[in-house]
Amino acid sequence: MGTENEVDRERRTAWNEDWAATVVGLVLLGLVLAQIIPGWLVP
Amino acid sequence: MAEVETRQRSSLLWAAGGVAVVVLLGALTRYLEQNVPVFTKGTWLGGIAKSVEYPVYAILLGLLGNAVLTGLGFRDRLAAGFRTEFFIKTGLVLLGASINFAVIVKAAGPAIAQAFLLITIVFGFTWWLGGKLGIDSKLRALLSSAVSICGVSAAIAAAGAVQARREQLAYTASMVIIFALPSIFLLPLAVDALGLSAPVAGAWIGGNIDTTAAVSAAGALVGEEALQIATIVKTTQNALLGVVAVALTAYFALKVERTGEAKVSGRALWERFPKFVLGFLAASVIATVFLESGGDKSAITTVNDLRTLFLILAFVSIGLEFRVAPLREAGWKPIGVFASATVVNLLVGLGLASLLFSGFTG
Repeated sequence: MGTENEVDRERRTAWNEDWAATVVGLVLLGLVLAQIIPGWLVP
Repeated sequence: MAEVETRQRSSLLWAAGGVAVVVLLGALTRYLEQNVPVFTKGTWLGGIAKSVEYPVYAILLGLLGNAVLTGLGFRDRLAAGFRTEFFIKTGLVLLGASINFAVIVKAAGPAIAQAFLLITIVFGFTWWLGGKLGIDSKLRALLSSAVSICGVSAAIAAAGAVQARREQLAYTASMVIIFALPSIFLLPLAVDALGLSAPVAGAWIGGNIDTTAAVSAAGALVGEEALQIATIVKTTQNALLGVVAVALTAYFALKVERTGEAKVSGRALWERFPKFVLGFLAASVIATVFLESGGDKSAITTVNDLRTLFLILAFVSIGLEFRVAPLREAGWKPIGVFASATVVNLLVGLGLASLLFSGFTG
């Protein structure tokens, strides 16, 4: 039981990371294109 | 209750510490990548330093950090912060912005054909060989998915689909990383030795190396065009992950466990679909429209720098995540299956990439 829960938790984290990566990536893209993040700020 | 809260807070702090380690090593990677060629200019090391790219520094620093933290006894507690999947997927969404959408549309046909054939052949071979050697069917499902689709994330999806045990997942994930690490360096060398064109090299790397982060590292070592094609091919494989996971759920419910409860619905497919693929496509469309409507090209250069930062964090995490211990427990049979499947993947992948991408122009 406990082991199944752990696999489920791992799977949920993977799905959440999927969405988080999509949102973070697109927000960063939007901020750069809108010139809110200037080039000199990115090392 | 208070004890649970304290424990949760403590593991959150350790995870934050893990992220801080990744960022620190990532910053060091960026520093070395930019400054070592300057420091060594004019010396005998200059030529070598110039050709060493950021994935090499990142992975080596990750492995070094891994050894130091393991020695200090902190590694396992910090591991929750080594989020390879998040970093690589964010990097890939940003990478979408550097690829004209027309290139994705053009590459989609051969990429889908290659992904479909490779997954079918390599999954089928691994499943068959695992069966011949008497490997537990859940572990067979995990190994077959990991080697034929997209490494760790495929293993996680398959583990959920077939209700695999935690140790089986840890074992498969370790094997993926152990096989992926050398291929990051060996495949670019093989590309040089075979004199492959950038699109064929990219398609071979994308179809071959299991884990998406390692595909990007090897692609980046070959060059920008190879990285783009490798990413398109790997993303296509990722997109097919949902289909395989749902098929596995149905197969295990109906044939292996015989519970008769198979959930094959549109919703199950959507749940298992890797959402970052949508982000990757959206970024490509947004950047293409932005440039076509006269947008500033230097903004895309900034997006590319951001993408490199996330890829560096992912590559550092690969090094930090590397573990040999789970492999000792499972014996040689699954390693033999995985190694054989990797060889089949290499050969069939090279054949398909040459066939489908030899005349490709971006």
